[in-house]
Parts: sequence; structure tokens; C-alpha cells
Amino acid sequence: MIYDLQIEIPYLLTLLLVVPLVGAVATAAMGGKRERYAKYVAGAFSAATMLLATVLLFTKDMGVYDESYSWIESAGLRMSYILHVDGLSVLMVFLSGLLVFLVTLFSSREGDRPNCFFALLLAMEVGLMGVYMSADYFLFYIMWEVTLIPMFFMISWYGGPRRHYAAIKFFIYTHVASVVMLIGIFALVFQSASGGVADFSFQAVLNGQFSDTFQAMVFLLLFFGFAVKMPAVPFHTWLPDAHTEAPTAGSVLLAGVMLKMGSYGIIRICLEALPQGAEHWQWLIIATGLVAIVYGAYACIAQRDLKKMVAFSSISHMGMVMLGIGCLSEAGIQMGIFQMFAHGLITAVLFMVCGLAGHNIGTREIPLLGGLASKMPLFAFFMMFGFMASLGLPSLVGFWAEFGIIFSFYEYASSNGMLWLIAFCLIALLLTAGYYLWAMQRTLFGRLTSKIDLSHVHDISRPEAAALGILCLLIIAFGFWPQAAFDFIEPYVGSLGAI
Amino acid sequence: MFVEYTWLVPLLPMICFVAVGLIGKRTPEGGAYLAIAGAAASCVISVLVAYEFFTSAAYHDPGYVTAEIEWFKIPGGFTLHFGYYIDSLACLMMLFASFISTLIFVYSKGYMHEQGAKKRRYYAEVSLFLTGMLGLAVSSNFLEMFVFWEIMGLCSYLLIGFWSFSHPEGDDAADNAASAAKKAFLVTRLGDVCLMAGLFVVLYSFGSLDYVRVFDAAAIHAVDQDMLVLGSLLIFGGVIGKSAQFPLLDWLPDAMAGPTTVSALIHAATMVKAGVYLVARCYPLFAQASEVMLFVGIIGGVTAFFAATMALNNMNIKRVLAYSTLSQLGYMFLALGAGGYLIALGIETGDHHLIAAGAAGYVAGCLHMANHAFFKALLFLCSGSVIHAVGTEDMRKMGGLHRKMKITSVTMLIGSLSIAGFPFFSGFWSKELVLETVMHASDYGAEGYLFTILWLLAVVTAFMTAFYMFRMWFMTFSGKPGHASEHCHGESPASMTAPLAILSAFAIGFGFTILFGFDALLSIGVEGPHHQFTVGAGEAKGFEYLSDIFGSAYTYLTIALVLGAIGIAHLMYNKRSVDAGRFNGGGESFVYKALTKRWWFPQLYDQISWKLGYGVARGVDFIDRQVVDGTVNGLSNAVAGGGELIGKAQTGDVRSYTWAVVAGVVLLFALMLALFYFIGGGI
Repeated sequence: MIYDLQIEIPYLLTLLLVVPLVGAVATAAMGGKRERYAKYVAGAFSAATMLLATVLLFTKDMGVYDESYSWIESAGLRMSYILHVDGLSVLMVFLSGLLVFLVTLFSSREGDRPNCFFALLLAMEVGLMGVYMSADYFLFYIMWEVTLIPMFFMISWYGGPRRHYAAIKFFIYTHVASVVMLIGIFALVFQSASGGVADFSFQAVLNGQFSDTFQAMVFLLLFFGFAVKMPAVPFHTWLPDAHTEAPTAGSVLLAGVMLKMGSYGIIRICLEALPQGAEHWQWLIIATGLVAIVYGAYACIAQRDLKKMVAFSSISHMGMVMLGIGCLSEAGIQMGIFQMFAHGLITAVLFMVCGLAGHNIGTREIPLLGGLASKMPLFAFFMMFGFMASLGLPSLVGFWAEFGIIFSFYEYASSNGMLWLIAFCLIALLLTAGYYLWAMQRTLFGRLTSKIDLSHVHDISRPEAAALGILCLLIIAFGFWPQAAFDFIEPYVGSLGAI
Repeated sequence: MFVEYTWLVPLLPMICFVAVGLIGKRTPEGGAYLAIAGAAASCVISVLVAYEFFTSAAYHDPGYVTAEIEWFKIPGGFTLHFGYYIDSLACLMMLFASFISTLIFVYSKGYMHEQGAKKRRYYAEVSLFLTGMLGLAVSSNFLEMFVFWEIMGLCSYLLIGFWSFSHPEGDDAADNAASAAKKAFLVTRLGDVCLMAGLFVVLYSFGSLDYVRVFDAAAIHAVDQDMLVLGSLLIFGGVIGKSAQFPLLDWLPDAMAGPTTVSALIHAATMVKAGVYLVARCYPLFAQASEVMLFVGIIGGVTAFFAATMALNNMNIKRVLAYSTLSQLGYMFLALGAGGYLIALGIETGDHHLIAAGAAGYVAGCLHMANHAFFKALLFLCSGSVIHAVGTEDMRKMGGLHRKMKITSVTMLIGSLSIAGFPFFSGFWSKELVLETVMHASDYGAEGYLFTILWLLAVVTAFMTAFYMFRMWFMTFSGKPGHASEHCHGESPASMTAPLAILSAFAIGFGFTILFGFDALLSIGVEGPHHQFTVGAGEAKGFEYLSDIFGSAYTYLTIALVLGAIGIAHLMYNKRSVDAGRFNGGGESFVYKALTKRWWFPQLYDQISWKLGYGVARGVDFIDRQVVDGTVNGLSNAVAGGGELIGKAQTGDVRSYTWAVVAGVVLLFALMLALFYFIGGGI
């Protein structure tokens, strides 16, 4: 095990919450004349968080870590501050730390109230870390909501022309979903209450006894809550709007780590606590996944806005995660988790590239672009790299996830006599190549566009190239050696005994 | 002692790819020397590995040597490996791929000399291309093979689109290149998706993708035979895409938009040969069912014929060569299909004679692959030399170049004679063997009569091949100088003509290897339920081939056809005593138009992608906006009272609203806590 360095840092998980929190406050305080130093403060804190998140990978037991303190204990209610990281969450924690640092680096040119901008990023990191680490439903729900608020302000303060509409839509849509999820959580917690105490910790709920009917009903509530977040067709329309209007940093975090909260929730809560419910609704999970994969891919072809296209591609690729989970097999879940990680890395590249198109060229409308490879070679390189990674080029990280998921689904379909369903996945693979290649042809290649003024167009700046370069290196590294990620996921999936 | 270093074969070009990409700008000729050194070093190691493999008795018994490390695991007991698998087929592939690539890279130094800063990109990409091909040849399992397979797909995309922006000939050419690159990637991707599905079938059925575990008699007969047929056909689907066989053949002519050296790479050393390799590699699987091999043969025969027709009236020197590649690839698949068909029947009946006859087809296909690699590389590099000199690809503007470019002219004549199957040139031997196997296959089995038809197609194709190749040669080199020929500045530099000379020697001589034990070297294990066969690797038939070939009346028929075709081309395009327009109604006849329109394949592709791709996508987009999102907005308007919410948000009174949202969240928390308190107290 290359990871087994046995590093131990006391209160590591709490630090992962506290450092960005302190950073957010400190950055927010850098208003007025000190504004231009805000990015350095934010950079330092996000770098520290990223380092801690990386250290977590090298701790004992492959990143499995616990911290637990009792918090609120009243008559009949117990809410605890329990943080827990295992194979499911460790890669997401790493990804959150990494992406927040990289978008801070990437956005270093931000000139409009930078202190607020960077503080929002760090605040979002607190929420994200919290969601992925909490092992108590109360804490989980708080953190879930905490991620919403900075994202809401991120869109409505720093977004595009229709930002207010998009921000409100994002907020209300996902909020409604989380209320439904909350009802599900209550049902879980109070049903599992024993000895007159409703214990909100994950462990207590796992110990609860649920009837099959109860499982099936509550599963639906929670599944709806998480599916909106992922997002699953037909509850996805908030996503393209939010992405189109969000600033680049917001989009990267939204697609890179926030969408994964949905799939994380499905595995962590729906599958762990309600295995029979999952079995009962297996057809629904699979159908949702398949529909998202094909529908998202088709929608991509018709998009004119580069960023909207990438947003729809996220829907398609998160459908892959859903499909992997839906197989309810070790292989499927493992590859689904791996796809969450892979998609996080790849989609970050994609949204950064789209952001650069909007920022450096002035428009993201594909029909207005063309021949940019001659003017912006670096931009063209990263765009091509991102697109190739996203369409599943072997030897890059996305391929293994797709390959594994479709293979798991093949196993499922084959043993259930529904082999023809595989055709949907294959069609989607083809469509994915189609929309990316067509988009590249129209933006990067062919004649240089004369529809827009290109006199101010400049290539990528150094910090932006650095952020993109780091992501590309990781995409290659995990593409050559996917086992490096499987080492974390395997033990977790193996312990999901119910499946 | 050398075989253990096989991994260096693909690794060295890979290192060159990285090195040229990073520091190519600072080395002379934009990294050309690095790329050449990498390819040459790979070639040397390939030779050493092959030498040791063929001479050391230790490797003869299983017929292969393999080593692997664990790559990753998929839960459910699937372990994927990474390693090398060397057998005679792998040796053949890596030998000619690395050797020809080295020559092409040397040639590129002269050909790409004027490309300035673009050279670095060129040499980096061709090095990666070579990595893909060599990696594919030495892979120890299907998955690893697929990785390299797709890397080649990426490289072909990049190289076909090499001039897809800031094209020296202007915007239209750039648009063209961009479109051709996209087409190449997407059409082959269609095949690749099939191949991937085939890998799923194999992985699920066999529990492994390693060659040693899949090509195992016990394993093959333990799996569901229907799934085996399905898997074989899906894998062949990948081959159809990659090797541009019917009906996915139309990307290859468009791929001529790239530099000519790239065409030479794609057609001779890499890319399209990968498909032939895969069929030869999968022989133990495919040969389990005669219908799979029949299908391979039919696709090959039909492609050979169709592609040859399209070359008949094309005016673009590179396109004629492109169609000839398709046609020759068709021959290879026809040979492999016919041979495999015989083997499949042999396995069913246990008849060793059929197996031996089938082995001849396998040998014929592989020999034709190697021969084709040499003469096609030669032909493309010659055409590159011509294009370099006259600055056009239109043969009508050429003519009379023989006086100005003697070396190019003679070497191209050698290549043309070889591909036409002129007696004793290398193409002759393999083509005759192909035809012989097909003839043989038509005598056996219930579907044997189909091979009679395929044989007829193949013979007609041989006639057409000789005709269009010499039409091309005469139009280019003989007769009156054309418009562009007058600007010709003479023969190309030595870095370009030297590779031509070396390749000519192989185009003449490589076919003779069949008389000196080529068939004994090439072997592949095919196993039946009751019998174990090793195809090939028997005693070399040696000079028996002479009596085989020249003892058959059909050989003289094809020789006569070839000579006749050359004669007709001579009359039409050299002496010009016969007007070609008489046969096609002055370019107005239906067939002529069908050929210029490439049998409407491009339109077919466009229609399919436009209707099934963009058309459906527009529908989905409409539904997404109007129905799905419309419902969401309608609901929210209904809840918020006639659009007030959205309206308010859009008119700008945002700050107050956002704080209202935050207040709402806080209130929700408060409510929640209160709820906890009351309910909690109640429990």
C-alpha cells in the first residue's frame, strides 16, 4: 500500500472544518483597502485545507478516521458531533479540498469584492467537508443546508445576466428537495429510537429495525431528495440554469463536488440504512440512471452555449453514477464511487475551460466561435484534454469508471435477461463522443471566426494554466493507475454487507 | 534475455512523445531526431525480441511468451492485468510497424521541413501514434489492447486534423480537415463502442480478458456458445470501424486531409492494420463458429470490391491510394475469413486437412498484411514526394513527371506493380494465396457457395486494382506535363528518397519469404472440443508453394487479367489511343456519378447523424425547455402567485429577497429544533 504512511494528526477531521471556517471569516474581513490581499489569505487557508485533506489519504487504515463528541442531549433526543471518514468519503474530502484550492488559484483575477468571493468559496468548503464527514443526521442536515447558502450568493452576486432567476431557482428547487429528505431523516431517526431516546447518529439508525414497507416508503423520500441534487431527469432543470449563470469557481464546485452530495447521500443513507428499500426500488434507480445518461447526452448535442452543454454532460455522467449504484453489486457501487471522483476531476477542467471561453473570448456561444486553436493554443489543449477525458478516452480516469459501471450493469442485465438495456449505455457513449467532437470542430478548428472581435483575445494566464495542469496530471495519474483510488473504495464497498 | 525487455518497445516512443512535447522546440527540426531515434530504438529491440523468440527452442512449445502484473481489480473476481504477450503474430506486427514508422519518420524530416513551429506537434503526435500501435501489438490482454487501440484513435484524430486550423491553403481546407478528423473519430468510435461491448461479453463469459485465459480450450468450451458468437461479432464490429470496412469505410478517404506521411502511417504501419491484427489475434475465438468467419469473409470481399470501384475514376492521387488500402484490407479479411471458415469446419468435423487448408488462409492474410505495409508505405511516400514537388494532389494537373523525378517514378512503379499483383512482386504471392484459400473454402460447408461469389468479386477486384494503379501511374508520370508539373522543382531530398529505395526493396522481395519459411514462423493455437490444433508452425511448405500457385489454372487467369488491366490503362492514359470517356458516357453515366459520389456513403452518414443525432437532440431540447422546465416554472409561479416570485427576482429587488431566503433557513432551523424538543420530550 503506497498510502500507508501512518501519519497521525490529532483532531484532523475537525481541523478540516475549522481551517476553512476561520479562513472564510478572515477572508471576509479583508474588505476595503486590503481587498487585493484577500486572495492570498484565501489561498493560504485553502492550501492548508487541501494539505490536510491530502494527509488524510496517508493516515492509518486508508483514511478511515473517527471523531465523536456528544453535543445536544435532551430528554429523548441525542445529537452528536460525530465525524467519520471512510472509503466512500475520503476521496470526496480530498476532492473538495483540492477543488477549492484550485478554484481559488484559478480565480485569482477576480476583482469584484474579492474578499466576499473567496470567503464564499471557503464557506462552501466548510459545508462540503461537513456533509462528507458527518456521521450524525442532524449535523449532516445542517451541513447540507450550509452548502446551499454560499452557492446561492455566489450565483446571485457574481453570476451572469439572469443570475437572480438562476439563484432562486437553484435555492428553492434544492431546498424543497432537502425538506423532503429531512422528513425521511426524521422518519428514520424516530423509527429507530430505542429506550425512549432518538439518537441522530448514523450508527444508531443502522442498528434500527425497519419493516420492508417502511423501508420502501422512506427510501423514496430520501431518494427524491438526493436525486434532485445529483440531478436526475426530470428534476434537473435547475442545474443548466445555475451553471450558465454561476461564475466559473461556483460552477466548478457545484459540478465537481456538490452534485456528488446527491450520490453520496444515496449510498451513505439510502443504501446503508435501507438495504431492502434499495432492493425494492432497484428498477427505479436503474431507470433514473439510464434515462439521465441518454437524455443528458442528447440534450448536449442541441446546446449552443458551451457551458450549458457541459452542464448537461454532467447530468449524463452523474446518470452513470446512478446506474452503477443501481446495480447494487460491489462492482457497481465501487465504480459508481470512482465515477464520482473521476467526474469531479474532469468536470472541473471542463468548467474552467468554459469559464475561460466566456472570460477571455467574451462569448460561449458555439456558433460564434471557430478556429481558436490558432489564437489560443493552451486553451485549445486543455479543452481538448478535458473533452477527451470526459468522453472516456482509455488511459484517462473517466474511462475506467465508465467501463466498470457499464460492465457491472452488463452483469446485472445479463443475469436478469435484459441485455438489450446495454444498448442505451453504448448509444450514450457514441453520443458523448459526438457532441464533444462536434463542439471542438466548431470552436477550436476550421476557419478563424469573424463573427466576434478577436483583437483582445488572449490565451490562458499562468495561475489558470497551473490549476488546469494539476487537474490534468491527476486525470492521467489515476487513469494509468485506477487501483490507487480503488484501494480506498474496495474495503468500504466490501463492508457494505447488506448488498 | 531480450524478451524480458519487450515493454521497452512501446515505452521508447512514449518517452519520445513526452520529450518532444516538452522540449521539442529546443531541439533541431522540432524533435524530428528524437522521434526517429525512438522509433529506431524500438525497431532494434523488436528485432532482438523477435530474433530470440524465433530462435530459442524454449518458446516453441506453447508458441508464446507472456508476463504480466496486476493492474486493478473489479469486485466479483475480475482481475485485470498489464503485460506483454509475444507470439509470432506480435513479432510480425511490431517488426513491420516499428521498421516502417522509422522510415516514415526519416522521410518526414524532409517532408515536414517547412512546417515551422508545427513540427513539434507533428513529431510528438506521430510518436504517440507509434506507441499505440506497438503497445497494441505486444499487449497481453484485450483491455490493454483496447487502451492502445483508442490511443491510436486519438492520434489519428489529431493527425488527420493536423491542418484543421491555420491551414496553409486557406480556410476551406482547414474546415475540411476539421470535418474529416471528426468523421474519422466518430465513425471509428461507432466500431469502438461495439468492441467495448464485445469486451464486456468476453469478460463476463470468461471472467478474464487475458489472452492466455481466454484462448484456452477448456475456457472456450465452458462458455455459452451463443455469447461467444455475439462477442466475436461485436469485436469484429470494432474491426470494421478501425479498418474502415463496409459499411464504415467512408472515413478513410476523407482522412487524406492530413499530411501524406500521416496517411502512410495510418495505412501502412498503424491504425487500419490494428483491425487485421485483432481478427488474427482472435482466431481462436472466431474460429469456433463458421458463421462468424463467413461474416468476416463477406465483409472483406464486399469491401474489396466496393472500394476498388471508387478508385476507378478518382482524380486525387491520395484518394486513389486510400481506396486501394480499403480494397487490400478487404483481401486480408477475406483471406482470414475463408481460412477461419475452413478451420471452423475442421474443428466441427475433426478433419486435419481442413485445418491445414485454413492455416494457409491465416498465413495468406498475415503475409498480405505485411506486404501491404511495405508497398502501401512506399506508394504513399512516393505520392508525398510528388505532392511535395508539384504542390497539388490533382492528377489532371500532373503528368510527365518521370523525367523530373526519376527515383520517385521508378519506386512508385515498383509499388504499383506490387499492389497490382504483377508476378514475382511481393503482392503477387500473397494475393494468389488469398484467392487460393477462398477458392478452397468454396468447396466446403453449406455456405461454401458464398465463397465462390466472393472469389469472383476478388478476381474482378484484382483486375480493377491493376487498372486504377496504372491509371494513376500513367496520369502522374507519363505523357505531357500538366499544369502543375511545369513548376516541379525536381527530385525530393535524400532523406525522402532513401526510405523510398529501402521500401522498394521490400515491395519487391518480401513476398519471397513465403518460399523460405514464413508460414512456419507464423503460428497460432486454435483449440477444438476434442482436438487441439496449432495453426501454422508446421513444416514450412517452401517451394511447394510454387507448384501450388503455378499448378493452378486460376493463377494464369488472374495474371492475364492483371496484364490486361495494365494494357488498358496504358492505352487510355499513356498512349491515349482509347478515350476513357467512351465507357462512362463522358462522365454522365449513372455508374460514373455513383462512383464520384462514393456510392452515396457520405450522404448516408450525414443523414443518419443529422436525423438520429441532431434531430432527436432538438426534440429532447424542446421537451426539456418547454415541458420539463415549463412545468417547474409553472408550478413555482402558481405557488408564488402569478409569477411574482420570478418577476421580483428578475426586476432586481434581490438583496432583500436573498436575506429573506436566509431568514427562511434560520427559521426552518428554529422550527426544527422546536420540533425536536416537543417530539423528543414526547418519546
